[in-house]
Amino acid sequence: MKPSRKKKRRTVEVPVASMGDIAFLLIIFFLLLSEFAKDKDLPIDLPVSKQVEKTEAVVVARVAIDSEGVIYFDGDRVDNAKDVEWGVRALLTKTVADEQRHVQFKCDASLSKETFEPVLKAIAEAGGIIEAVGEEK
Amino acid sequence: MSKKRKQPEKRKITGDIPTGSFSDIAFLLIIYFLVATTLVKVKSITADLPTGEKQAKAQLDKTPIVNLRGADIYFSDKKVTVENLNARLAALKLAEKPPAKRVIMLESTNATVYQSYFQVLAAISANGGVVAIVEEEE
Repeated sequence: MKPSRKKKRRTVEVPVASMGDIAFLLIIFFLLLSEFAKDKDLPIDLPVSKQVEKTEAVVVARVAIDSEGVIYFDGDRVDNAKDVEWGVRALLTKTVADEQRHVQFKCDASLSKETFEPVLKAIAEAGGIIEAVGEEK
Repeated sequence: MSKKRKQPEKRKITGDIPTGSFSDIAFLLIIYFLVATTLVKVKSITADLPTGEKQAKAQLDKTPIVNLRGADIYFSDKKVTVENLNARLAALKLAEKPPAKRVIMLESTNATVYQSYFQVLAAISANGGVVAIVEEEE
């Protein structure tokens, strides 16, 4: 009769030494790619429509007009529509493709034409395609 | 007889930083950012406004025109609702036409609020139209 051999238990170790490095690389990647919404807290009551849809377009700039009629360009307050035009124009100087010309436009629903139309025209004059933000009915 | 006290051995202090928990900290940070981040996908309409004013003026008599007088909408001088405007714009089959013939003029009074303007802009854009803003002559 053969003596029974005791099976040796093999321990399988997962190499975890580089896990920390990978995790920190992931954090750095997310931090660099993140974009903080600068106009999130602005008092804007968005207009309502049935035809709004979720957009996949990447916007080059964000223009907002709050309920007081104050204009913001990429989160910073600007004096008038002309500033918006120059800002968008500066961003689009080397842009050729249409996909890179989208400018997000947020405006309070109660504002009158005198306030928002010059800004819309300014974006168009600068060569931007307007992504007018609204809410679904 | 004096007993010699056994002196405790001096521990060697090594300057190693304990890095064993680094990966845990890092993953906790990742989870924190993933949970705290809100991915905002806004809903919008796309409107490409041409800037060639002179050309638009020349075509004014041929081009369909939407007038906004306060909250009232007029299409070719007839009062319409947003739904009617949609239906009439759909009947024009703008999407099938060349870009130059997709132009819809948009005129508005000073009393027009952005809510009405946005709805008209959305209707024109959704039906494949290109919005041309009519400027008031000074």
